[in-house]
Amino acid sequence: MNRCFDYLGVPLSTRKAFPRLPNVWSLVVFLLLAMATNHVSAQKTDNITVVGTVTDSSGKILEGVSIAANAKQASATTTDRNGKFVLDVPVGSDLWVAYVGFVDQHVTVTKDSREVTIVLQAVKAQADEVVVTAFGRKERKEAVVGSVSTVNPEQLKIPASNLTNALAGQIAGVIGFQRGGQPGLDNAQFFIRGVTTLGYSASPLILIDNIELTADDLARLQVDDIASFSILKDASAAALYGARGANGVILVTTKQGKAGRAKINIRYENSISKPTQMVKLADPVTYMQLYDEALTTRGQAPLYSPNDIINTQATMDGAQGSNPYAYPAVDWLKTLFKDKTSTQRANFSVQGGNDVTKYYIAGSYNRDNGIMKTNPVNNFNSGMKFENYQLRANVNVKVTPTTEVVVRLWGNFNDYTGPITDDQSGFASDLFDRVLHTSPVAFPAYFPADSANMLSQHILFGNSLAIGGALQDNPYADMMKGYKSFSQSRMSAQFEVNQNLNFITKGLTFRGIFNTNRYSYFDLSRAYKPFYYSLSPGSDVPGTPNYRLTWLNNVTGDNQPTEYLNYSPGNKDVNTFLYLQGNLDYNRVFGDHTVSASLVGTRQQTLYANAEDPDTHQPSLLYSLPYRNLGFSGRLTYSFRNKYFIEGNFGYNGSERFAADHRWGLFPTIGGGWVISNEDFWKGKITNVITRLKIRGSYGLVGNDAIGQQRFFYLSNVVPQGGDGATFGTSNGFSLNGTNILAYPNPDVTWESSKKSNLAVEMTLFNKLNITAEIYHEYRYNILINRGYIPVTAGIENTASSNLKANLGTAYSKGLDLHVDYKQNITNDLWASVLGNLTVTANKAGHLEEPAYKYAYRFQSGQPINQPFGYIAERLFVDDKEAANSPTQAFGDNTLPKGGDIKYRDVNGDGIINQDDQVPIGLPTTPQIIYGFGFSLGYKGFDLNAFFQGLARESFFMNATSQDDRSKGEYGTAPFVNNAQVMQAYADSHWSEDNQNLYALWPRLSVTDIKNNQQQSTWWLRDGSFMRLKSLEMGYTLPKKVLKKLYVDNLRIYVNALNPITWSHFKLWDPEQAGQGFAYPIQKVYNIGINLNF
Amino acid sequence: MKLLTKILLSAVAPSLLLASCKKYLDVTPDNVATLESSFSNATEAKAYLFGCYSYLQKMADVRANAGFTTSGEIIFPYPLQDQSVLGGAGGDAAFQILRGTQNSANPILNYWDGYNQGVSGGINLWQAIRKCNTFLENIDRPRDIQPFEKTREIAEAKFLKAYYHYWLIRMYGPIPIADVALPVNATPDQVRIKQQSVDSCFRYVINLLDTAIAGLPTTIQNPAVEAGRATATIALAVKAEALATQASPLFNGNPDYASFVGKDGQPLFSTTYDPAKWQKAADACKAAIDAANTTGAGLYQLRMGGGVIHLSDSTKQLLTLQGAFVDSWNAEQIWTLNPPFGWQYMASPRVTAEAAANVFAVYSNFSVPLAESELFYTNNGVPINEDKKWDYANRYKTQPGDSANLYYIKLNYTSAKGNFNREPRYYADVAFDGSLWFGSGKLDDNNSNYVNAVNGFAAPFDQLRYNATGYWAKKLVPYQSTAGTNSVWQSYSWPFMRLTGLWLLYAECLNEVGGPSGNVYSLVDQVRARAGLKGVVDAWSQYSNNPSKPSSKDGLRQIIHQERRIELAFEGQAGWDLRRWKEMQSVLAGPVQGWNVFNKTVSGFYQVTNVFQPIFGIRNYLYPIQDYDLLTNPNLVQTPYW
Repeated sequence: MNRCFDYLGVPLSTRKAFPRLPNVWSLVVFLLLAMATNHVSAQKTDNITVVGTVTDSSGKILEGVSIAANAKQASATTTDRNGKFVLDVPVGSDLWVAYVGFVDQHVTVTKDSREVTIVLQAVKAQADEVVVTAFGRKERKEAVVGSVSTVNPEQLKIPASNLTNALAGQIAGVIGFQRGGQPGLDNAQFFIRGVTTLGYSASPLILIDNIELTADDLARLQVDDIASFSILKDASAAALYGARGANGVILVTTKQGKAGRAKINIRYENSISKPTQMVKLADPVTYMQLYDEALTTRGQAPLYSPNDIINTQATMDGAQGSNPYAYPAVDWLKTLFKDKTSTQRANFSVQGGNDVTKYYIAGSYNRDNGIMKTNPVNNFNSGMKFENYQLRANVNVKVTPTTEVVVRLWGNFNDYTGPITDDQSGFASDLFDRVLHTSPVAFPAYFPADSANMLSQHILFGNSLAIGGALQDNPYADMMKGYKSFSQSRMSAQFEVNQNLNFITKGLTFRGIFNTNRYSYFDLSRAYKPFYYSLSPGSDVPGTPNYRLTWLNNVTGDNQPTEYLNYSPGNKDVNTFLYLQGNLDYNRVFGDHTVSASLVGTRQQTLYANAEDPDTHQPSLLYSLPYRNLGFSGRLTYSFRNKYFIEGNFGYNGSERFAADHRWGLFPTIGGGWVISNEDFWKGKITNVITRLKIRGSYGLVGNDAIGQQRFFYLSNVVPQGGDGATFGTSNGFSLNGTNILAYPNPDVTWESSKKSNLAVEMTLFNKLNITAEIYHEYRYNILINRGYIPVTAGIENTASSNLKANLGTAYSKGLDLHVDYKQNITNDLWASVLGNLTVTANKAGHLEEPAYKYAYRFQSGQPINQPFGYIAERLFVDDKEAANSPTQAFGDNTLPKGGDIKYRDVNGDGIINQDDQVPIGLPTTPQIIYGFGFSLGYKGFDLNAFFQGLARESFFMNATSQDDRSKGEYGTAPFVNNAQVMQAYADSHWSEDNQNLYALWPRLSVTDIKNNQQQSTWWLRDGSFMRLKSLEMGYTLPKKVLKKLYVDNLRIYVNALNPITWSHFKLWDPEQAGQGFAYPIQKVYNIGINLNF
Repeated sequence: MKLLTKILLSAVAPSLLLASCKKYLDVTPDNVATLESSFSNATEAKAYLFGCYSYLQKMADVRANAGFTTSGEIIFPYPLQDQSVLGGAGGDAAFQILRGTQNSANPILNYWDGYNQGVSGGINLWQAIRKCNTFLENIDRPRDIQPFEKTREIAEAKFLKAYYHYWLIRMYGPIPIADVALPVNATPDQVRIKQQSVDSCFRYVINLLDTAIAGLPTTIQNPAVEAGRATATIALAVKAEALATQASPLFNGNPDYASFVGKDGQPLFSTTYDPAKWQKAADACKAAIDAANTTGAGLYQLRMGGGVIHLSDSTKQLLTLQGAFVDSWNAEQIWTLNPPFGWQYMASPRVTAEAAANVFAVYSNFSVPLAESELFYTNNGVPINEDKKWDYANRYKTQPGDSANLYYIKLNYTSAKGNFNREPRYYADVAFDGSLWFGSGKLDDNNSNYVNAVNGFAAPFDQLRYNATGYWAKKLVPYQSTAGTNSVWQSYSWPFMRLTGLWLLYAECLNEVGGPSGNVYSLVDQVRARAGLKGVVDAWSQYSNNPSKPSSKDGLRQIIHQERRIELAFEGQAGWDLRRWKEMQSVLAGPVQGWNVFNKTVSGFYQVTNVFQPIFGIRNYLYPIQDYDLLTNPNLVQTPYW
């Protein structure tokens, strides 16, 4: 919650610090006083020291209450832990006492008021709650007509280094889910009110202190630094962002200093994390047996002889005479990974200041330790370490009584060292994936030296040649061979001016913002090239004279193994961002009428140093040109007697990506609110039941400019001599490359637009239960979609065909957001609160370019966005004969199905299974329902919080392919292909000739991809819904008596857990990972922390 | 009033500030590359033309050539321990069509959309044609282009455009004609173009070729830089082949396609046989041969490198027969595509200890079916089942190598009787258990390497590196190629058309026009003479149990067809020829057979074994259009029987 005592920060506080409006007089008094500051400051009067205590109506002392004497700027303070304050003020000055959730009070200081007790009255139903809206404006909740959800930043505090994982279920209107747990790559995907476009991006605009930043920046944000966290959901709230707000806006502001003595906050946490659920792999002997089965059942000779299997069993058993080098049985997971890892987080902040200068300085340090084991045999440490440092300084300086400047500096720095990886992210999280794609029986991790290698300096890594002659991946060698480090930094400098323009006219203020931030990244690696060995044929166990190794990579050239480290430079990425904003705001009260108006202009530019075309990954001129946006927007509001509110907005935005005549988009909205409980007729008993009742609604247009990755839609993108070419000459000596066309010019492309309507009811029952319910409808049009009808005979080059688009798509969505909270003080020592959020969305595709399907069920139009289509799997084929006599199932590879392969339903009955038999199956792949609920209990110094979160109405498909594409997040679970290991579940339940289970989990085994069994079908369809205990926290705050002796204001010790329990129908892996079973698992975290204020 | 002005000023000032930067959004400089940039000068234009050629050069990869993969001349084993050895997963897809995997949902050899070895990766022939069209539309732009250069390049683009259309016609029969590049914002009706009848498709191709021929050079002046670019001779030869294809039974009055009509009912195939088409084809063959002769085409003369220890005349003859194909840019090759043949390790057997030591050097998966090996004549120049002096019945029995076949089969090495006393082209083209292998590091035919497929180097190494029939396409591996730890594969470019093929095509056309004649005989006999065989009439009268076969039109047709299949064996032609002759079904009627290759004893090895039963129905003569294309273009009709 915002402390609202920034009484001279006029542009903000004139709105936020309004006392509850029925008391119009106090407002007028305040305004008069505020304006008088210039003149009265020079007066000389006798000072008096006032010692005061502030309590609520029940006598409970209030800490942190702001007290200020208008007459003298320097005189401002807040109450301490005991509700006390001391202030030197002139006699006759007016003390303004303000505290969030309470009605402001004014006390005139007389000669007798050396000791005062001020009792603040709680406001009814938090009517003065402040909400941060577009461009960081603070508005009273009462006056907001758009749909804005705010969340107490404290609720986003989870024991993980990623803020995005805390959003789901905490905020009504956010659909969020996390698909993988790789450190550094574990961002949750989140959508405001679900996915509402068919187009390129459904991601919300993320603004931190008004600056557009990425989800990664949001993820790294320290919750302790956050002052407010708002989500703008409807047209009216997001309208000022015009063409950029259609997917919703996330607004975060960071804390600013408060006048008073320096207050220090320190937090330290230590966590232990481990997977919520690990996939279970079959043991090496089962692997061999099933591998042989997979070969023989498809007509090939087995690979492992019974002798191999017996000997491997002996290795597993550790039997006497077993030879783990000739018959390895490696548990790669255990060889490489510890079963848990630890993380340390520390942060501190100092804030304080006086009336002229206020500061908030915060620093933090996070350290994620890798889960990889290290081996003493290396003389360098290849273990993983990821450190994040942040420094933030927000300083407000009052240059003149009417001018405030704000400087915000923020640095975010990541340093990483870890094993070598080719992962784009830089994190060596791919080792997990490699382990799952390494045979447990092919070779041991390393060999003891044989007689020839007694003096070798290098590790004798195990390996064997693949069938094609290539060395295989030895993940242990991958981990040990060297290390990679990267450094990543973003420095942001922001300068703001807030100028009171009362000298022009009352209520007029100006605000300007300049921000630039610079991002840089580089990585490098140092590694040796490992030596690989296999056991020579006929060798005995190590130590015997007959133990001999064969050197497998005895080659020269680039792949020559080395005993020394090589250095290889890596990626370097630099970009800069510039932002300018100017606001002119006007607020004024004329009797019963309150009027406000704003005009905002913004421009921003981003430049990328390493500009490359996303299609070709080649440097590209077009992508090197600055990315620019220009926006004007405005707002006009009017309210009457705090009952009726009306508001109009517009956004007018330009983007350089469109042709000059399609560059600009105008997005107007209108909204209104009615606080029924402020009506005169709302009297009597009903006010005891429904303390507060407000309805509001909005309607309008918002746009979306994130409509594709193509740089300039109106320009062709051509790379002369960048395409396929030809070679001529008797010794093929002359070549030229042809032209590569990446995009044809399309001058008509313009903004995607959204018509949004929103209706909400806010009410407070019994003064304790707050309910906000909103329903909305959205019509998205001008969605840039692929042209579907152009036949290939037109000859559009395939590199350009994906860029052949038009603003033709439409989509609809509707939904419900519900937020409920309740707080009850049971006794003086015991209190409880409950919180619940529900987000329900439903959407459907409207117009889409679709071919003229023969069958109605094939059209995507009218189906939910992300509706999967696939075949209906009936069961497995009984035998080859049945497979041969059933409707043809040919999927383009060389095989026709056999017994034990999946049998699909011939939906259209034409005797062939093809695309015409694909029907909508299951539910959308993004959840339609997200919910979260939790409770807090407090008894004296103890508190207990639990928060449950879940999602429902979501389907996913178990990935039954051999895909292994980290960049796309595709992790297939097909055994054996790409050396994949076998999941125990597949080992336990698959069709085999001995056990012809027609409904087995896995069809007939194979060591190669069987496309028939990998089609998207109901066979792999699973219910994605789950609920989990997202967090559980217990804390203890030390009693004040103890603290006083320690000179500490507050000390809290707490333990908490993230994701400790999950409930789901799906048991093979964490259901939130959806189909990607071999993805890095989502983590559960146990944490202990201490928070100290003094 | 003053106040109001102040308000206005302060409101307007920031807006003005921002409005002044409307230009802020004009970030694109003038010289951004556009399509016009590709025609800004003569060199850029030439590069664009090379882009048009790129599709053609991709066709040199035999994996994408239906004439090679689905000919029944070579099969690819299935299943292998690793089915991705032929250049990645799906590399062997076209070979497996014979196993019945063709389908319309995701067709194999899909040149229409560019998938599954139909070129590759979504690059299809319609794009190639659009490239040619774009080139023709823009070639006026470069200011520095020389007129003769421009004429030539226009002609080349037209030639390519014609050839791409022709390739599609061969695969799909009636196709839409893409004569111009449609604008990107064309209406749906404009882009949904219809198929035209097969005859008008051919007519379009021939007309286009005629205009191209006029502008093409007769010969390449600067072979070091330009060899491989189109010439008038090439275009004439393509025209001859196209006309012969049009005249052939598949396209000429084929009753199977009587009901094949377009969306609005117009017939796409003429149902009446038109003999005049053969005459046109014959004339075109004559023109092509004449043009070739004037530019110095002739039979290949062996060009040997150094290091030969001993080379008998017999071996020399084999090397000459093979060299006509693998010794690139010789006078016999009318049209050669530059990309080198990359699959020698698939065609070669392991004949040396070095090759066997490095198991990754040689894969041998290109397997020649027994029936293909039996296609080659006896040393008397007649089919093995017609030769009165050749023991046809006992051809699967074995015998030791004898002195009569001293330079073909290792002396005293036991091999199948059927391998003895065959025509030189058999020994030049096919390797088998016991056959000598001149080269691979040993240039001495008195002490040659040889193939030991029973229990020697050439026997299956594992379930992956093996030949499924026991016959190798030796023709595809030059003698200089040596497999071992560091294999050296003698590079050669893939020929698309040879003079002897053109002679046989001419003979075929003449026979169809007028039946047997001296002219026909002499054309065929020229080819046979180079192979060391007697003329058709002599050979048949002396040795055949059907001595009058060459005197009838039907008999001579059979002889010419077989001669052509032998002469052009493994050259990627048979798959096309057998289709246009409508003979593919009978060739693939029986099971593909070979020896029992995994048996390591002589008696066990020489058992005729079925590899698989090919599936080739009437519908397989033409290729299915991907179902999806019929959805995006409702004006198309699917290939018959798909």
